[in-house]
Amino acid sequence: MIHLSGLRVLYGSFAAVDGLDLDIRRGELFGLLGPNGAGKSTTIRVLIGQRRPSAGKVTVGGFDVVREWAKVKPIFGYVPDRENHFEEFTGRRNLEFFARLYGVPRRRAQDCLAMVELDEAADLPVRGYSLGMRKKLLLARALLHEPQVLYLDEPTANLDIHSAEVVHRILRERVKLGATIVLTTHDMDEVERICDRVGIVCRGKLVALDSPLALKQEHTERMVDVTRPDGERVVFDLDADSGRRALADLVVAGGVAAMRTREFDFHATFLKLTGQAFE
Amino acid sequence: MRLYVLHALVVKEAQRHLANRGGIVLAMLLVAAAVLLSVFAPEEATGGTGMVGGVHHCFVEFDRASPLVEHLKENVPPELKLQIVFRELAKADEINGIIVYPTGTGALQLRQDTRVPDRRPAVKVDIWHPEGDPSALAPYEAWFWKESRRFFAARAREKLSTADLPPDPDFGAGSSWLVLEAHARLQERVEAARGTKEARPLVPDLVIDRKGLGGRVLDFRAAIATGMVVFALYFACVYLLPTLNCEERERGVLLAQALSPASPAEIITAKFLFYPTAGIVLAAIIAGVYKVAVLKSLFFWLSLLAVAGGFLGIGMTVATLARTQRAAFMGGMCYLLSVSMVLLICSTNGIPFLPYVAVEYHGPRILHAALAGEVQTYHWHHLLGAIGLAAAWLAAAGWLFRRRGWQ
Repeated sequence: MIHLSGLRVLYGSFAAVDGLDLDIRRGELFGLLGPNGAGKSTTIRVLIGQRRPSAGKVTVGGFDVVREWAKVKPIFGYVPDRENHFEEFTGRRNLEFFARLYGVPRRRAQDCLAMVELDEAADLPVRGYSLGMRKKLLLARALLHEPQVLYLDEPTANLDIHSAEVVHRILRERVKLGATIVLTTHDMDEVERICDRVGIVCRGKLVALDSPLALKQEHTERMVDVTRPDGERVVFDLDADSGRRALADLVVAGGVAAMRTREFDFHATFLKLTGQAFE
Repeated sequence: MRLYVLHALVVKEAQRHLANRGGIVLAMLLVAAAVLLSVFAPEEATGGTGMVGGVHHCFVEFDRASPLVEHLKENVPPELKLQIVFRELAKADEINGIIVYPTGTGALQLRQDTRVPDRRPAVKVDIWHPEGDPSALAPYEAWFWKESRRFFAARAREKLSTADLPPDPDFGAGSSWLVLEAHARLQERVEAARGTKEARPLVPDLVIDRKGLGGRVLDFRAAIATGMVVFALYFACVYLLPTLNCEERERGVLLAQALSPASPAEIITAKFLFYPTAGIVLAAIIAGVYKVAVLKSLFFWLSLLAVAGGFLGIGMTVATLARTQRAAFMGGMCYLLSVSMVLLICSTNGIPFLPYVAVEYHGPRILHAALAGEVQTYHWHHLLGAIGLAAAWLAAAGWLFRRRGWQ
């Protein structure tokens, strides 16, 4: 559905995206991760037609985003990281305005408001909305025309647990209906729970691409924390022969008071792959 | 260009103004100002305040209600009726025993000089004019001297009905009759001193012929109305349009619209439709309040369209170049000040041609001509110039917006 081939975006002499190749399949929920300045936002900006690639080709639904921009626009919905509503309008009027632009019935605005559980606040001015409500209104707006492709920039930031669950449920439903979703997020749990595949970019390059589970299994270090009877704590690396042997010897000798395996941690996987603190 | 998209975008602009009522309040204030201008300086009463120079009111103050005062009261010309105020000296505003006059006023004080019982009867006239501007009371003085002369001549004729009294001078010659009378008096006295009756007088006759240059004194009332009409267009197109456009850009709402099926051409067309229309409607209301007849003038509507088009192009250019709402506001103000300065410098230094490239040079001229009802051939040339400049500004604005409008 989304095809990036040799995508390169330059800001002066700095390559924000440096030869990115990526295929995102129809009906896939794809997570795009990376540290600060990795090129995620620039990639999204290219996908929504707000930045021309310096080199390479990007197609969405078979249409070139540069040359066939008008055909690409109706295909996608976009949830930016920064809310952009008409503050003086009510939530309903905001949605109704965009519904008219998309040529969808006004009733659809009400449906979308109900979908994100904003129907009760629909007739309040947006300037009175909380950050979470504004975020949900962005999602409702992006869903107005039931797009085939949805780009979401941190869709659950500032949302409470319940609202985040609502968003996750909506995204899963959209995927079931065949929509393709690309999201960027800082929430590793969210990535693990809802993404079918994850692409990790660093310094403009794709450094990993697989399902969250596969990435964890491939990259997480296998460690065992042991507490000895005298209270001393020892860590054994099971990937090393010496570590496995030392742990076996200690168990046989009855020198283990407590033992705990380290859980698979996608955060650790990310740190290992990027070598940088997460943004 | 899809009509339903245009409709949605135009309705959105209107709804934004209904939600943020600052613009509507200012528009209502402008209309209220036009109504006040119409009520307190009706056209038929003044015909323009320019003829009275720097004094908008003249007090005629008297120590007692003499027949002269009654004559003056009965013979105030219509064009000065609202400007001349009669009052007794005893009722004048005083501070510490000194009569005070508001700024922009003057006075003609009449006193019966009866301090010495056997002295010749006299009327003492004190003329109080604004400091440094002795000619400011000229229109009032011209009226006063003429009516005084008529009054005393009429009284003399009553008392000496059989005597051969000099005829009234030609008052239709403006203030020239005063000069001619003084000259005739000089001739009489010189001839009397000469003692002989000769055919050719020593002092020649004086013939004065006043002619207008064809222009008229600036009609300040029409000028104020023109200013309000121009401001209405400027306010809608060079202030509201850029600031709200940049506000949308700052908030990211413009980007949201750009990512919707609305094309840049539709977004810009909706703005081009809404703001000039709002400005033209407001300007037409103000002009209509000032003078209803102007709404039937084709020249007036063409002028409005040309000036609105020019301002729209300027506003859209500012909106496209400015990144923030604040920058847009400052951009509009800087443009206004810089163009005003350029026009002033060109005007005071006689620099030719440069002012022709400013909409602000042609706009006020054609609108003032339309409002004052004095459209000449050269005003049509100004109108053509304004239309050309408007087309150029609109083309530049459209090109710029397509390149970087919502970025």
